[in-house]
Amino acid sequence: MSVDVYKYVYGVVCASAVAPARAGLGGAPVELIACGATAAVVSDVRERELDAGRQELMTHAEVLEDALRDGVVLPMRFGVVMADGEAVRRELLQRHHDVLLSQLSELAGKVELRLRAVFEETAVVGEVLREHAEIAALRDALRGCDEDAAYYERIRLGEMVADAVARKCEAEGEEILRALAPLALAVDRGGGAHERMALHASFLVERDRVVEFDEAVDELGRAQDGRLRLKYTGPLPPYSFVELPTEG
Amino acid sequence: MATTAVQQGGGGGVQRSGGSGELYAILDLILDKGLVIDVFVRVSLVGIELLTIDVRVVIASVDTYLRFAEAANRLDLQASRGKGLSDLTGDLTGGLNATDALGDAQGALAGATQAGSGLAGGATQLAPSGAGLG
Repeated sequence: MSVDVYKYVYGVVCASAVAPARAGLGGAPVELIACGATAAVVSDVRERELDAGRQELMTHAEVLEDALRDGVVLPMRFGVVMADGEAVRRELLQRHHDVLLSQLSELAGKVELRLRAVFEETAVVGEVLREHAEIAALRDALRGCDEDAAYYERIRLGEMVADAVARKCEAEGEEILRALAPLALAVDRGGGAHERMALHASFLVERDRVVEFDEAVDELGRAQDGRLRLKYTGPLPPYSFVELPTEG
Repeated sequence: MATTAVQQGGGGGVQRSGGSGELYAILDLILDKGLVIDVFVRVSLVGIELLTIDVRVVIASVDTYLRFAEAANRLDLQASRGKGLSDLTGDLTGGLNATDALGDAQGALAGATQAGSGLAGGATQLAPSGAGLG
């Protein structure tokens, strides 16, 4: 009885593309399976239990980045494994051929850029105290009170600060989007995963305009230094801008 | 590889990383975005929970509130560091008998030590005796 082999799928490229010359999951070579004008980027995996460790996630991302460097790639979500090459050809490429092809043509020459903006705590709390007299007044009233005695009052103070910070995040996020959206073809704004996060968004940008976008982000960083912490990542494959219709 | 190196961008507060240079910056993309198809063997992903800490949704909690209250309070102390000598005496005379105002005096005294000059030594010694009066 031979050992089962499955196909791990990284993404979809044009049939004319070359396979990324880097080792895939578990060191297996990355190869292409073509069907019509499309091809899947795959490598062999031996287990159905896939370790989603740092190494595996990095490999997934790096194979896709290699593919992006050579052209257009539609990234799969981490963890897609198909029974064999024939299943990849039939169930993925053939069945969704036209949708995949039209997305490949739409996304050609475009990359995803990701920006996260988080308020520095001291800066944003300071602004809140200056902008809201009633919050500053409560803070002053609690000054020097016994910590345990004023426990619920301190929670109320913190809640007021948190609400005000959330409103500032919303407004600041909109402000940043207004500045950057004109440079992008599409924006995917994620939810805040942090109570001081003003923006967590992905931008679909033409390769030709990446430098322009970089400069806009740098300018934002200079203007907001000490107030907002920016984390800028990319160019990435367009993870946030691909989609397949789900069938019932 | 040049594109995966983490570099400091030209902008003041921008931390720049190319692609997978920093895994956690793109973790939610790899796990939540990208294509999925309806027919595939979804493998069981082992060990994923260790990596999803940054993807979690933070729920506003009492801890968050207390942290913000603490931050607001810290700013208060930093602000009082700038007080001049006249403010300091005002705080001292007005506040020696009231427990809540004593906090003010101590804050101001602590500020004075930071402000330096000849006053600093005396002010640090005053603080414990002031506390004894309350």
